[in-house]
Amino acid sequence: MSDGAHHTPSTSQYWKIALGLAVITALEVSLYYIDNALELGVLNAAMLIGLSLLKFVVVVGWFMHLRFEKPSLSRFFTGGFILAISLYAVVLGFMAAAVLRS
Amino acid sequence: MTDLAHEGDVTAEDHHDEHESLGMDARKLGMWVFLSSEFLFFGALMTNYLLYSNRPGLADPYPGTIYDIPFTSVSSFVLLMSSLTMVLAHAALERDDQHQTRTWLFATAALGSIFLGGQVFEFYEFITHDGMTLTTSPVASAFYVLTGFHGLHVAIGILMLLSLWGIGHSQGALSDKRGFNVELVGLYWHFVDIIWIVIFTVVYLLSTS
Repeated sequence: MSDGAHHTPSTSQYWKIALGLAVITALEVSLYYIDNALELGVLNAAMLIGLSLLKFVVVVGWFMHLRFEKPSLSRFFTGGFILAISLYAVVLGFMAAAVLRS
Repeated sequence: MTDLAHEGDVTAEDHHDEHESLGMDARKLGMWVFLSSEFLFFGALMTNYLLYSNRPGLADPYPGTIYDIPFTSVSSFVLLMSSLTMVLAHAALERDDQHQTRTWLFATAALGSIFLGGQVFEFYEFITHDGMTLTTSPVASAFYVLTGFHGLHVAIGILMLLSLWGIGHSQGALSDKRGFNVELVGLYWHFVDIIWIVIFTVVYLLSTS
């Protein structure tokens, strides 16, 4: 059924991946409370974004099977994703600078 | 009879080729293109929220001060687990286990409904208890528009899941064509999940820390 069905993970692997995702979510929430107590600042933000990105990649790669699809599709999505993030980062930067100036 | 059967096979094959002239199934490619456009849509809403967050001089309450992190963490966990049940439905269909496919499809819709119920409860609390409405401040508007549109996507996903479950239930089995729809709906559902992964971190955890 799937174009890359012969490579997709087994049912037990899906459960293990989900367990990993649950652990990462628990880590994120723990970091939130640790930051409230210790005020980690930028380090907290960097770790939260890193963990979130890891979850994002795991869901897209394994649950959405992008890892097992044709490389052209992976390039299409990854390239588009990086371009979109860059575009919004630039827009946000310019607008934040405009707000600070006003 | 044999000729007719052969003719039928050729027609089905042609139909299959018609969908794969791009080197992969055009419907799947179409779904990926659609999801990419949706990603841009949510990216714009998230940028809008970030632009107004932490901006001084806005009317109270500021969303970051009233978020219920433990509650939203449980909601996020529920949505994350619905991605597992979705992929289990897809895996069951590949094994041609129709009963398990329907069970996991229904479980995914149920988990999605729990998440959506939680969001409705959260909005109700914000509006009635904390006094933060759509027009309280630009950041409140940005919050409701972003999370509201996400909730709308979840609701559409639940309808699609229940439709597939209903078709499978009434016809006894999901045909190949309907089975492919499970994969497409699955892609959509996982997309809704990854958008929430980003919203949970950027809007909830980073706004309040």
